Amino acid sequence: MTMLSSSGGPGLGKRTYSLLRSIPTWVLWLLVVLWTIPSLGLFINSFRTRNAQRASGWWYVLVEDFSENLTLDNYVDILASGSQGGLWRALLNSLAIALPATVIPIAFAAFAAYAFAWIDFKGREWLFIATVSLLAIPAQMSLIPLLQLYSGGGHITLPFLEKTLTLFPDLDLAGRHVSVWLTHTGFALPFAIFLLHNYISGLPKDIFESAVIDGADHFKIFWRLVVPLSVPVLAAFAIFQFLWTYNDYLIAVTMLGGAGQNFPATARIAALSGEFGQAEHLLTAGAFLSTLLPIIVFFALQRFFVTGILAGSVKG
Amino acid sequence: MRGRKGDRSRNGHFRDADELDGRRRARRMIGVLAVLNFAINILMGSGVAAAAAVLIYRGGSTSTVRRAAAVSSGIVLGALTLWGVFTVEKLETTARGVVISILASALIFILANKLFDLPPSRWSLFTTLIGAGFALLVFALLWGNRAIDDPVLRTMVATLVGAVAGYLLGTVQHRWGRLVIGVGAGGLLGALATSGMRSVILVFELEQGAFELWPILPRLNYGVLAGATVGGAVIGLLLWQFRGRRNPPVRALLLGATLGFLVGGWLLPDLGTGTKANALVAGIGAGIGLGALLALKPIPDGSKRGRIEGSSRAYIFLIPALGFIATTLIIPTLRTLFLSFRDTRGQEYVGFLNYGDIFSSPNIFNLDGWTGIFGSKLFIVGALLLLIGVVVSIVVGRRSGYTIRFSPGTGGVSAIGVVLVAFAVFAALRGTIFNNLWWVFTVTVLSSSAGLAIAVLADRARWESLAKSLIFMPMAISFVGAGVIWRFMYLARDVSKPQTGVLNTVWVGIGNLSLSRGIGFFVAIILCLGLAILLGVLAVRAWRTGERTIGVGAAVSALPLIWFAYALWHGVGGFEVRENGDIVASTIQFVQKAPYNNMWLMLVLIWIQTGFTMVIFSAAIKAVPGDLLEAARVDGASESQTFWRVIIPQIYPTIGVVTTTLIVLVMKVFDIVKVMTNGNFGTQVIANEMWQRAFTELNFGLGSALAVVLFIAVLPILFMNIRRIQKAAV
Amino acid sequence: MTRKSIRIFALMAALALVAVACGDTAEAPPPETVVVTSIVTQIETVTETEVVTSVVTETETVTETVEVEVTVPVEVEVERENPLAGTTVTVFGPESSSTEAGAHQAALDIFAAQNGMTIQYTGHRGFSDLINAQAAGGNPPDIAVFPQPGKIADFAREGWLLPIPDDVLATMNENIGAAWNAFGNVDGVQYAIPTKADLKSLVWYRPADFAAAGYEIPTTWDDLKALTQQMIDDGNVPWCVGIESGSATGWAFTDWVEDLTLRYQGADFYDQWVDHSIPFNSPEMNAIWTEILDLWNIPGAVYAEGGTISSTFFGDNGRPLVEGDCMMHRQASFFSAFFPDGTPFGPEGVDVFYFPSVSGDRPVLGAGTLVAAFRDAPEVWAVMEYYATPQHADNRQRFQNLAQGGGAVLSGFLSPNLNANLDLYQPLEQSFLDILFTAEVVRFDGSDLMPAAVGSGSFWSEATSAVNGDKTVEEAIDAIEASWP
Repeated sequence: MTMLSSSGGPGLGKRTYSLLRSIPTWVLWLLVVLWTIPSLGLFINSFRTRNAQRASGWWYVLVEDFSENLTLDNYVDILASGSQGGLWRALLNSLAIALPATVIPIAFAAFAAYAFAWIDFKGREWLFIATVSLLAIPAQMSLIPLLQLYSGGGHITLPFLEKTLTLFPDLDLAGRHVSVWLTHTGFALPFAIFLLHNYISGLPKDIFESAVIDGADHFKIFWRLVVPLSVPVLAAFAIFQFLWTYNDYLIAVTMLGGAGQNFPATARIAALSGEFGQAEHLLTAGAFLSTLLPIIVFFALQRFFVTGILAGSVKG
Repeated sequence: MRGRKGDRSRNGHFRDADELDGRRRARRMIGVLAVLNFAINILMGSGVAAAAAVLIYRGGSTSTVRRAAAVSSGIVLGALTLWGVFTVEKLETTARGVVISILASALIFILANKLFDLPPSRWSLFTTLIGAGFALLVFALLWGNRAIDDPVLRTMVATLVGAVAGYLLGTVQHRWGRLVIGVGAGGLLGALATSGMRSVILVFELEQGAFELWPILPRLNYGVLAGATVGGAVIGLLLWQFRGRRNPPVRALLLGATLGFLVGGWLLPDLGTGTKANALVAGIGAGIGLGALLALKPIPDGSKRGRIEGSSRAYIFLIPALGFIATTLIIPTLRTLFLSFRDTRGQEYVGFLNYGDIFSSPNIFNLDGWTGIFGSKLFIVGALLLLIGVVVSIVVGRRSGYTIRFSPGTGGVSAIGVVLVAFAVFAALRGTIFNNLWWVFTVTVLSSSAGLAIAVLADRARWESLAKSLIFMPMAISFVGAGVIWRFMYLARDVSKPQTGVLNTVWVGIGNLSLSRGIGFFVAIILCLGLAILLGVLAVRAWRTGERTIGVGAAVSALPLIWFAYALWHGVGGFEVRENGDIVASTIQFVQKAPYNNMWLMLVLIWIQTGFTMVIFSAAIKAVPGDLLEAARVDGASESQTFWRVIIPQIYPTIGVVTTTLIVLVMKVFDIVKVMTNGNFGTQVIANEMWQRAFTELNFGLGSALAVVLFIAVLPILFMNIRRIQKAAV
Repeated sequence: MTRKSIRIFALMAALALVAVACGDTAEAPPPETVVVTSIVTQIETVTETEVVTSVVTETETVTETVEVEVTVPVEVEVERENPLAGTTVTVFGPESSSTEAGAHQAALDIFAAQNGMTIQYTGHRGFSDLINAQAAGGNPPDIAVFPQPGKIADFAREGWLLPIPDDVLATMNENIGAAWNAFGNVDGVQYAIPTKADLKSLVWYRPADFAAAGYEIPTTWDDLKALTQQMIDDGNVPWCVGIESGSATGWAFTDWVEDLTLRYQGADFYDQWVDHSIPFNSPEMNAIWTEILDLWNIPGAVYAEGGTISSTFFGDNGRPLVEGDCMMHRQASFFSAFFPDGTPFGPEGVDVFYFPSVSGDRPVLGAGTLVAAFRDAPEVWAVMEYYATPQHADNRQRFQNLAQGGGAVLSGFLSPNLNANLDLYQPLEQSFLDILFTAEVVRFDGSDLMPAAVGSGSFWSEATSAVNGDKTVEEAIDAIEASWP
C-alpha cells in the first residue's frame, strides 16, 4: 500500500496522483471495517434472543421484526444471575486482580531494567539474557508447583540430614486474589524487563553522565530521570499487562480453585454458558460487557504513549 | 507437600504459652484498630478523589468546565471507593493489608537505597546500621518462630549490641582491638539467642492429639562437632590453596571452621533432645567464629567503599524482580525438567522415554506427507512468485551495481512467494510440532506486517486515534469472547437454510452471484476488470517514467482482480455440481476441514495481536526524528523511499522486539486452540497437547517433556533475537 | 516530562486504590437468619404452595418471596448448640449455568440455613481439568461433584479422596439403589454418593409428526432401521445428528457406541470393554462403529444443522427437530434445555421413546454426577449425608424447576434417589425416572469410566475423525487402542 502512496513524479497526471494519494486512507478504513465486523456481530447478537441468535445471522437485525427478536434479557440475565453475585462482582474481582498485577510488575521491572541498562556489574549481559530467555517457558507448567506453594508453603528436605526447612510459610494464599497477582507478576517480569530495558537502555547517555557529574546517585537518577523519561513505555506496558491479566482465565481459575466468589469476569462468563453450553447465547452479552472496561483504559492511556513517545528519544 | 490444606489451617492451630495472653491483648487492640481502619479508609477515599482530580485537572487546559469535571469526578470516585470499602465485607482487611504491604515494600526499597548511599562518605554509620539491622533481623526471625523467651527484651538488647559492634568495627583500626570486638559481640549475640531458647518451639495440634514440630535445642556430640569443625577448616584451607593463596590463610581457615562448627552444632545432631548448655555452646561458638571473620577484614579504603556502594545498588534494583522470577519461573521449570524424565505421576525414573514418545507419535511429529509438498498448487505458485521476484531483483541489482537488490515491489512479490511456499510445506507436514511452527511463521509475519502497515497508513490520517482504537479493540476481548465472536464468523449451516456465519454467507453469496449471470454478476466482472485496467495503465505509465517499483506493484495488484473476474465467469464460491448435474450450495467447514482450518484459527490470533504490533510500531514511527524525514524530503526522496530507507532502519530495533515477542507468544499459543477445537481436526499445538497430557490426563511425565521441547524450541530464536537487538542498540 | 510522570503515577495510584477497594473476600459470613441465598433468575411467585421462605440475594436484601412446600423442613430458628454452626464447606462441580449452579447452591443453602453454616458451591465447565490441578496442587475443595466415575477411581487410588464413613453410608444405602451406588465404589470401598442422574437411551421425536405420517414407535433396532428407511422413502429426513461440542467434540457419537455396545454385546462385554480386558479395536467394536456410521451415511438419513455432522453443535439439534427438518434425535434427558425457548413437551409437543434394544432386553445407558469428599470434618460429612437424602433431591428439583421458569417445565434434573418425591416431576420426567428405576441393566456412560486419555481424549477425537471420514473405522479404533495408557 505504501508503495502506491509515493509521490507521482512529473510523468503522472495530477488526477491520477491525487487518486493515488487517497488510496492509503481508503485501504486503512477498509481494514478498520474488516477488523470491526467480527466484534460488531458480537455486539448486535448480544441484543438478540437465544432463538434468534441460532436461527439467523446478526445482520438480519436490519430486516427482521425488532420487537420479537431484540431484547435486553441477555444483559439482565448475566448481571443478575449466578450464585456468586452476578457479573458485577466478577468485574470488580477482575479489577482487583488486574490492577495490582499491572502495577507491581511495572515497578519491579523498571528497577531491574534500569539495573541491567545503566549499572555496571559482573555478568550483567548474561544475567539479562538468562532473564529474558525465561520468556520461552510455557507458564502452564508452573501452575501446579505454584499452587502447591500457595496452598501448603514451600519446604525443602535437606538431603542426607533429613531436616525439613520451611522456605515459604503456608499463608493459605490459594483461593485469594493475592495468589493470582503474585503469579501474574512472576510471569510478566521477563517480558516487562525485556521491553523496558530496550527503551531505558536507549535513553541518551549524556544525560546520565551529566547527572553523575552533578552528584546524583543511582536512586536519584532512577526517580528523577529514568521514570519520567520512560512514561511512554511504562504506559504501553501497563496497558498490555492490564489487558493480559484482565483477560486471563487459566491462571485465575487454577489459583482460585473452588473460591467462586473471587472469580474474575472471564471465568464467570465461561461458567455461565453452562456445563454443556446450554446458555451460550449469554456469552455475547458477557463478552461485550467485559470488553468495555479495557477499551476505556486504552482510551485513557492512549495519549500517554502516543504523544509522550514523540518527545522521548526512542530506540525500541 | 501434598498434605491437605484443611488439616492445618482449619482444624489445627499453633498452641503457645503466650498465645492466650496475646489474644487478650489483641482484643484490646481491636478498638484501636477500628479507629485506625476508619482513618485508613477515609484516607483511601480521599486519596482516590485527589488522584483522580489531579489527573484530570492536569490533563490539559484549565477551563472552568474542566476544573468542575475534575473536582466532581474526583468526588464521585472517592465516594465510590469509600462506599466499596465500607459496604463490601472483608474489603477493609484486604485493603489494609494491601496498602500496608505496598507502603512497606516501598519503604524497604527506599531505605535500602539510602543505606547504601552511606559507605563512601559515612562508613561508621553504615556499619552501625548494618550491625543493628543484622541483629534485628536474626532476632526478629527467632521471635517470629517463637524460638526464644522474652523476645522483646532480647531483640532490643541484641540490636543495641549489633549497633555498638558495628560502630566499633567501622571506626577501630587496631587489628587486635577489632578481633576482640568481633569475638565479643558475636559471642554475646550467640549467647543472647541461645540462652533463651525454648526446648520446643512449636506444638502443632491436630484433633488426634499434639505432636512436636521443629524442636530446636541441639544434643551435642562433641566428637562430631570437633570433627565437623576440623573438616570445615581443612576444606577452607584446600579451597584457599586452589584459589591461588590470594589472601592470608587465616580467613579461609576461620570461615571453613565456622561453617563446619555450624553444621556440626545444628545440622548433624538431633534437635530437640539437648539442653540449654548444649545450645549455648553451639550458639556462642558460631557467634564467635562469625564475629572474628568480620573483624579480620580491615576497614575498606575509599575506592573499595565506592565499589560496595555501586555493586550493592545493582542487587537492590534486581532482587525484587529476580526473586519473583526465581519463585514463579525458575524453580517450577527445574521441577518440570525433573518430571520430564519420570513416569506419569513422577514416581519412577524412565530416562528419555517421554521424549521418545513425543517424536514417535504420528499425531505430534509426522513427515509422511512431504512428497505432497511439490505437487501442491500453492507451492508451484509460491515458487514461481519467488523466482520472479528474485530474478527481477538480480536484474535490477546488476544495473545499479549490486549483486541483488530488492525493491519494495520485487521484495513484496518474493515475500508472498516465501509465504505461499511455507504454507505448502506446513500444509503437507502434519502433527503438533509442525502446526506450531506454521503458527509461529504465519502469525509473526502477517501480524507484524499488518500492524506496521496500519501504523503507517494511520500515521497522520484523519481520525487516526479512532482507527487505531478500533484495530486495537480485539486486544481487549478475552479468548472466551474471541471464541464466541469467531464462531459467528465461521459458522456453517445446512445449505437448505440461510447461513448464519458471516464468511459462509459471503461465500455462498459469491457462488450465487457467479451462477446467476444477472446484472450483479456483470457489474462485478466489469468492476474488477475496470480496476485491473486502471492499475495496468498506471503500471505502464509508472514504468515509463522510471518509477519501476510502482509499476511492478500496480501490475501485481491487478493480477488478483483479473483472476477474480475470470473465476467469477467460470463459477466460484459456495456451490458444487452433483453427479446428476444438480447445482447445490456448499459451505466451507472453516474450523473442521484440515489442514487449512489451522489458518482460520491463526486468523483469530492475527486479528487479536495486530493491535499490539500496531501500537508499538506506531509509537516507534512517531519517534523517528522529524529532521531526518525533512532531510530525506529535501533530498528529493519519494515517500516510499523515505519509508524504506529512513523509517525502517530507524525502527529496526522495534521490529526486533515485536517479532521476538510474537514468536514467543505464538509458540506458546494455547487459548484459541483450546477454545475453538481443543486440538481436534488436526489443529493440535504443543501447549494444548501439554495441557491435555498434564492436566486432563495427569500424565506429568509426558506433559513436562512437551514443555521442555517447547522451551528448547523457542530458546535459539529468542537468543538470536536478543543478541541482534543488543547489537543494534549499541 | 515531570508533569506527565506525576499524572501517570497519580493514575496508577488511583487505580491501585480502586483495586484495593475491590479486594477479595475470603468467605461469606454464616447467615444469621434463614436465608436461601442467591436463587438465580427472576423467580416468579409461585402460588400453589403454602410455607414462606424468603429468597435473598448476596447483599441480603429480601427481593422476592418464594413459596416452598410444607414438606421442606425449613427451621426458622438456628439451633444455637448445633455443632455445625459457623462452619464452612466448599463444593466444586461442573454445573455452572445460572440455572443449574443456582439450583445447586439454593438446595445447599436450605441445609446450610438449618444448621447455621455456610456451604458454597462453585461451578465451572472446565471442572475435569481444574479439579486435577486443584488436587495435584494441594488445594482441593471440601467436596467435589464428579461427572466421571473414572476420575473418582483415579483420585481414590491416588489417596486424594476419603472413604465414606458408615453412618453416611447407611443413609446412602437407604435412599439410593445399589446399581447407582456401584459407580462410586472403588475396589470395594465407597467413595462417592450419586446425586444426579441422566438417562441417555432416549430418542426425542414429535408425536404429531409420527401420527401424521403413520409411523409406529420402533421397539427393536431392526424396526428403527426400517423406520429410518421408510422415512427416507417418504421424503422425510429421519435423524438430526451433530457431535460438535467445543473441547468435548465427539462425545455424542460415543454415546451411540456405548448404547449399541450394551445392546449388541450385553452388559458383561460392556464392562470388559470399559475396563480394557477386551481391546478397543476388537472386531465387535469395529462392527458397532460400522453399524452406526452406515446408518448415518445412508444418503438423506441425517440432517446436520451445521453442514456436516462433526461441525454441528450437538445442542443445535433441538430447533430442527421442532421445525420438522428431521424426525428423530437420540440424546440424553438433559437435552430438554436445548430446545428453543417455549417448546412444549409431552404428547402435544416433543416427546421421547426408549432407544430400542436389539434382543428385547431393556438395558439403559445412564450418566450423572457423584459427590466425594476431600476433607475429613463433621461438617463435610454432614453435607455429604445431606446429598444422599430425599430432602436434597426434592429441594434441588424444586429449585431447578423454578429456575427454568417454574410450573410445567422440564427441569433438566433427575435424582437417582429412590425416595424422592415423584410429584415434583413432570409426567415426561416421571417416565424418565421410571425407565431408570425399572431397568434391569444400568450402565454408566463408558467414556466417563475409561481413563481420561481415552474417555475424554482419543475416544472423542478419533470418533470425530471417523465421522468426518478422515479416518476409517479400523484406523480410528486402532489409534484409540494405542492411546490406552
